Amino acid sequence: MRYTEFTPYDIVLLLQGLSVTLWLFVASTLIGGALGLGFAVVRYYRVLLLRQLVHGLAELLKNSPVLVQLFLVFFGLPVLMKINLTPSQAALITLSGNTAAFVYVIAVSAIEAISRDQIEAARVFGLTRWTILRRVIAPQALAFAIGPLTGLLVNQLQVTSLISVIGVIDLTKVGHILNLRTLKPFIVWAVVGALYYLTAKAVAYAGSRLERRLRAHTDWKGV
Amino acid sequence: MGFDLSILAKHVPFLLEGLWLTTVVCLGALAGSIVLGIVVAACRTAASPLARRLSAIYVDVFRNIPFIVQLFFFYFGLPEVGIYIEAAPTGIIALSIAGGAYTSDVIRAGILAIEPGILEAAEVSGLTRRKIFTMVILPIALRTSIRPLGAVCVNLVLTSSVLSTITLNELTGSAKIVAAETFRPFEVYAALLIAYACLTYAVSGLFGALHRHVNRHTAGEVA
Repeated sequence: MRYTEFTPYDIVLLLQGLSVTLWLFVASTLIGGALGLGFAVVRYYRVLLLRQLVHGLAELLKNSPVLVQLFLVFFGLPVLMKINLTPSQAALITLSGNTAAFVYVIAVSAIEAISRDQIEAARVFGLTRWTILRRVIAPQALAFAIGPLTGLLVNQLQVTSLISVIGVIDLTKVGHILNLRTLKPFIVWAVVGALYYLTAKAVAYAGSRLERRLRAHTDWKGV
Repeated sequence: MGFDLSILAKHVPFLLEGLWLTTVVCLGALAGSIVLGIVVAACRTAASPLARRLSAIYVDVFRNIPFIVQLFFFYFGLPEVGIYIEAAPTGIIALSIAGGAYTSDVIRAGILAIEPGILEAAEVSGLTRRKIFTMVILPIALRTSIRPLGAVCVNLVLTSSVLSTITLNELTGSAKIVAAETFRPFEVYAALLIAYACLTYAVSGLFGALHRHVNRHTAGEVA
């Protein structure tokens, strides 16, 4: 017996797929963001050797397809290091690394956007290096970077769809399963596409709200 | 078993075939997305509100839905409506439509950057609207947008790896076959990662050279 019709349970299936996509998106964003920031700080303090290594790694990750990175981690790493990786673990490692590379680039340009005078002024006041980084550089760099970061996150959300290829049951994989069962590609992929679209719009909206709040201090408040 | 690249040697001709297919698909998609991008950019900067609205929706939709979902929509959907084409043309069409959204944004920015004085001069000279667009606006807009077009092309090359999921044996697809045959996935995918990085490096170098060549007389004005 073959169920070629849509059932109410399919909605649950789609939502499950969406939750897997969202979970991996949030987790890889947090890990990748922290890693990328760490890389940027390494560059800011000009740590010898580590700086060149980080830069080279970021360039390599930015200039190669995420699909190949996924294959390298999921198929290559276990064979080379004789370990076991589940598809979700491989996906998390790859997506985090990829996000880190892009966050690094954004963070570096955001730090460089702050004028040297401010840092010199802070030094003259006798602030420590850590206080300068936390109180002077970080707030301004964040306000500068939030726009590009939102763009990056919308992009990374779409990149998560590639993990379906290594067998993670995310939204795209659920779409694939439904498509094979019902043989109604237009409806299935339109619904999956719409879910991705709405999620991306939600991320973009949250980003623009946050940006407005972070930039609120620069608004003209009247005399 | 350690890291041993020499096992790849006898598979190089096979991988080069994949590289050739990647090149052909990318060139086709680049041509397609530039043509589509010019048309859509013309619509987005048109006087008619309807054309502006429709083209904005197209760009919004195709930038916010993952490429793999779009690809499956076409790959499984086209036979449904009686269009039977192979994986390669399907891939070129899907890549062109997705790339067109990004290309149109780049060309639109180029059009909007043109000085109003130039357009007024063209109108005063009595040129028709069609002539103004094809002979005045377009050459200037394309010339200034070569560098961002290079970035779009780099993205096309990276995105073309996704075509391996619809049985198209381009570079990533043939690497998958080699990895399965040799059972040395780490070596294969690590080499592939480097190969893609070199490829995108070459592409952006090529576009940089083109930019310098086309803008050689206006070096002072166009940074």
